[in-house]
Amino acid sequence: MRNQLSRPSDAEIIRRIIDGDVNSFEHLLKRYQDHVLRIVTKHIPYNEVEETAHNVFVRAYQALPGFKQEGSFRQWLSAIAVRTCYDFWRKRYRSRELPMSDLTDSHQGWLEKTLSNQSDKSFHEKGREKEARELLDWALSKLSASDRMVIELVYLEGLSVKEAAGLLGWSVANVKVRSFRSRKKLETLLTGVISA
Amino acid sequence: MKPLQRKYEALKKILREAYFEKEHAEVDEQWQVNAMRRIKGLGPITSRPNFLVFFERFVWRLTPATCLLIIVGAIIFLKLGFFPDYDVLTLFINDTEELSLAQLF
Repeated sequence: MRNQLSRPSDAEIIRRIIDGDVNSFEHLLKRYQDHVLRIVTKHIPYNEVEETAHNVFVRAYQALPGFKQEGSFRQWLSAIAVRTCYDFWRKRYRSRELPMSDLTDSHQGWLEKTLSNQSDKSFHEKGREKEARELLDWALSKLSASDRMVIELVYLEGLSVKEAAGLLGWSVANVKVRSFRSRKKLETLLTGVISA
Repeated sequence: MKPLQRKYEALKKILREAYFEKEHAEVDEQWQVNAMRRIKGLGPITSRPNFLVFFERFVWRLTPATCLLIIVGAIIFLKLGFFPDYDVLTLFINDTEELSLAQLF
């Protein structure tokens, strides 16, 4: 109880930061770093996570005066994190730094084995998560940055179109159309791999 | 369900599981220190909106109205016949007598 009383609320911390107390931002950083890292880890390659999470907090700090107290800070920060990840991919695609590795025979072999052996065993038990992840990365690298984000949020994470639109800052109609198109692209890519 | 479709559905499930199985990144205290150093480097922020930010917001809010104005303006110009060369030419063709008389004085 005492801890709860001594723990300043997000609104109180934000007010202090806006009043010029930069050090108060450390409270927000500690409070939300796990949440931000969880989001960033899902969308960004492992070796870029730390730098991208830094960028999320820098953007949040700069945008704090525009934060409206109507929604929760957590939700607002989540949107910033998702948009920072989207910007990361846009930059990557623009500079063509994407690893465009093709699928190897080992991936193809794994895929055939896994799909032909549709038992009740999940893929964890077979200990071949690495191939699955590489196949997913390969498929996602063939999509545009925006298609990639929509696929990850709507198709893989299972968020609703409205939730994804809120995080990306796009209209619901835009996310709906993009979701449909990107899903079709992914389907074409994956069925191509299966039938190869 | 066709065999290809069945395989695709199975693959979708595998990929979804792989997506959630991604290794969770752990950060140390140094990461926090570096983050705060970057934040402090930016200096204190104020609630007073930056002129550029304000301008940007203002410009974007006006964009639909500006586009509408351009379209309406274009329609009006097309309806009124905004072709000065054509107007002068029709004046010469239809009213050659009066024009030549006016030129005399």
